[in-house]
Amino acid sequence: MNIILCVKQVPDVTEADIRIKKDGKDIEKEDLEMVINEWDNYAVEEAVRIKEKYGGKITVITLGDEESEDVLRRALAMGADEAIRIDEEGFEGSDPRGIALGLYHVIKDLPFDLILTGAQSADMGWAQVGVLLAGMLNIPYATLAVQIEIKDKKVIVKRELESNTFENVELPIPSLITIQSGINEPRYVSVLGIRRVRKLKIEEKFLDDLEIPPDKVGEKGSIIESMKLMPPPEGKGAEIIEGSIEEVCERLAQIIKEKGGL
Amino acid sequence: MIPERELFWHAGPKTLFYLLSLVSVSIFFYGLTRHISVWKKGLKKEKIHLSCKSIGSVIKDGIFAGRILKGDISAGIMHLLIFWGFSFLFLGTIVLAFDHYIYHFLFGKKYLFFSFSLEVAGIMLILGLFLAFIRRYVQKIGRLENKREDFIVLLWLVLITFTGFFLEGLRLSYQNPEWKKFSFFGLLFSNIFSKDTAYMIYPFFWWIHVLLSLSFISAIPFTKLFHMIASPLSIYIKDQPYFIVPVEEREDVFTYRELIQIDACTRCGRCVEICPSSGVGEPFAPRDVISLIKEKIFFGKKTEYDPKLIWYCTTCGACLEVCPIYIPPFRIIRELRAREIEDGTRVPALMAQTLERLYKYNNPWVSSKKRTEWVKGLDIIDITKEKEEGLLCYFVGCTTSYETRAQEIARSFSKILNRCGVRFGILGRKEPCCGDIARRVGEDGLFEDHTISCIELFQEYGIKEVVTSSPHCLWTMKNEYPLLKDIDISFFHYSQILERLINEGVLNFKKGLNIKVTYHDPCYLGRHNRIFDSPRNVIKAIPGIKLIEMEHNKENSLCCGGGGGRMWQEELDVDVKMSERRIMEVYDTGAEIVITCCPLCLIMLEDARKTKGLEESLKVMDLNEFVLMALE
Repeated sequence: MNIILCVKQVPDVTEADIRIKKDGKDIEKEDLEMVINEWDNYAVEEAVRIKEKYGGKITVITLGDEESEDVLRRALAMGADEAIRIDEEGFEGSDPRGIALGLYHVIKDLPFDLILTGAQSADMGWAQVGVLLAGMLNIPYATLAVQIEIKDKKVIVKRELESNTFENVELPIPSLITIQSGINEPRYVSVLGIRRVRKLKIEEKFLDDLEIPPDKVGEKGSIIESMKLMPPPEGKGAEIIEGSIEEVCERLAQIIKEKGGL
Repeated sequence: MIPERELFWHAGPKTLFYLLSLVSVSIFFYGLTRHISVWKKGLKKEKIHLSCKSIGSVIKDGIFAGRILKGDISAGIMHLLIFWGFSFLFLGTIVLAFDHYIYHFLFGKKYLFFSFSLEVAGIMLILGLFLAFIRRYVQKIGRLENKREDFIVLLWLVLITFTGFFLEGLRLSYQNPEWKKFSFFGLLFSNIFSKDTAYMIYPFFWWIHVLLSLSFISAIPFTKLFHMIASPLSIYIKDQPYFIVPVEEREDVFTYRELIQIDACTRCGRCVEICPSSGVGEPFAPRDVISLIKEKIFFGKKTEYDPKLIWYCTTCGACLEVCPIYIPPFRIIRELRAREIEDGTRVPALMAQTLERLYKYNNPWVSSKKRTEWVKGLDIIDITKEKEEGLLCYFVGCTTSYETRAQEIARSFSKILNRCGVRFGILGRKEPCCGDIARRVGEDGLFEDHTISCIELFQEYGIKEVVTSSPHCLWTMKNEYPLLKDIDISFFHYSQILERLINEGVLNFKKGLNIKVTYHDPCYLGRHNRIFDSPRNVIKAIPGIKLIEMEHNKENSLCCGGGGGRMWQEELDVDVKMSERRIMEVYDTGAEIVITCCPLCLIMLEDARKTKGLEESLKVMDLNEFVLMALE
């Protein structure tokens, strides 16, 4: 079972103060730590589990700058075998189609049985790259997988639908699956694990090598234009409690009491 | 007639006896080499040094049962009786062989003395075994685990001793020598049978005695009896220098030292009795983990410990304090954690999150690098910005930098230092994690990274003296950094600096405080770093203070439950928390304030005070806060 994994590096915003750039098109990333996209992390774990069970080779691909090699190394430490980085230059400002196009031009020449991607990315949240890529490769796909089972050259995918309902679908091989978070418990990657893959070579691809017409990708090739980024407006019901910890807690307890929570 | 005894009287054939002896000794040596071959696997490049101090420990704790007597006199007496009885009888056999094969000297008075001594030794052994039976099966002492092996070993020894005395009785009944009163105990058995019957059944019982004894020798390496060999070794190696194998060079999990120590465990259960985790009903017991590994490594059993259990240990070190042969289960558990971390698939989710935060943000608390929020409003030098050499470096530590309650430690300590005019500085935003958490939970690669960043920073800014908030940082820097890199830096805990300032007369208390207080020894300050008196001396320097000790204090202190990574593993808590057990002990002293010297203890005890509803009656304070209160 040869698997291709598409992963992405995103800024960690769990506890960060997010500031929007002056041009209003992106956030300030300078002070932010970069991490693997949460959904992709589940996809890596799933791929490694499939490999441990059925054998095969995992090739992990990302589209990003040099710093994004970190997520590739992380995936290698988890059990991927080879890594390819498509350099971001020329792809900046791409819409999902531009990114899928970049991935497509690398993957089309590779042998594979399955492609796994995260269901969506934590930063832009389009959830489209996976399905667009499947379309370009002309293979079947399933989204939001919460369980994958492989039986006689077929893949049975349990998909998460709305309001706690699930759907089982059967896909042939090759096909593409986008992974929902929570499908597994991703393993811990130790510093030793990362050190061990430090010297593995990461293959690099550049826009020029990929025979993609430059006007199809990047901001120029994008049919979606980001107009303005803004924080969600403060709702009317919201009250920001200020003061020392004691004061905040007291006020909070008071509110809970008033609303009948205690 | 000259008193003496004919060896192999009315017994034999000798050849068969020699043959069986050879078999039994061969089995013994075969078993022994199996143990040694396992120990050797853990032996890398280090040498075991000859040390008089260690030999002294073996004599004190082995031959004179020093630690076995401590806290359990009846166990000590039992062990002394069995040990001395058994040893004398064993020596007696050697002397007898010498007399028979090499040089005959056991006759006359010498023989009588010899015979009498062995008689006494036999009685000691019997009394010891009797005491062991009582303790195990009548008193049913809680910490003793009763496995089949324990019963068989005991019964075996009893049978050997009794058949020995019984044979003596039969012999005396036939020979009826005039010096028989020297064999006063064996004499008791001499009247059971008539002279002729005694003569007739003697060979039969002789063979039973021989077979029991020979099989006992061959069973030593395959039962807990092997502690006769491994335990003295375990005591001997306790003071051998430690070493840390760089993570990339590590092959096997355990070092020779740990392997010998695992091998030496007799499952006495003192560690279970004292373990704070076992004490509040958590499913962890140090002994169980050790004995499962032992069965697996040394006896090839397919036992597997539950990997979840190893995360319970707070590495408080109470187990090492009571182990008669100095086994440190928490260090062995640390190695098991290292194996789990490397594998990665079974690391508890919260632990993994904490480690990832440590890796990315250099602290276990928040995904942020804002380390210096606590400094606001204080005038403190940042060594990395104002290059002033020779300053005392205050290593604040992650918890003290980030956790709101613990930040008060840093604030009050800085205020005291400023008041006393001590020139000091901090590393500001550049301060890394010291590596304690990584080390304790087995993330040795991360520990190395942290160690190197700390040492490089110290060296870059010419730092020679470091004072830490956390006893955990102190332990790691003082004891583990030098194992990775040669450094010339002195490390202190703030309680030592406060004590120094008092002794120098710089810090003095004019006003008195009329309060009853108690002091909680943090495990890493007390048991690990052996600093018991500095904080107590600081407290006592304040006039009017009445310091009451808790039931568990100093080296017997009870863990707050925050060490070894447990602070970030709340999912392991059971109904009663370790900190709650401790705070109730504080409450029992009637003190108004409990003072402690560690950010983790401070947070844990503060939480326990709230969950136990003691907010009105009790205060939890850091030593610095308390000193500052006395000053203001």
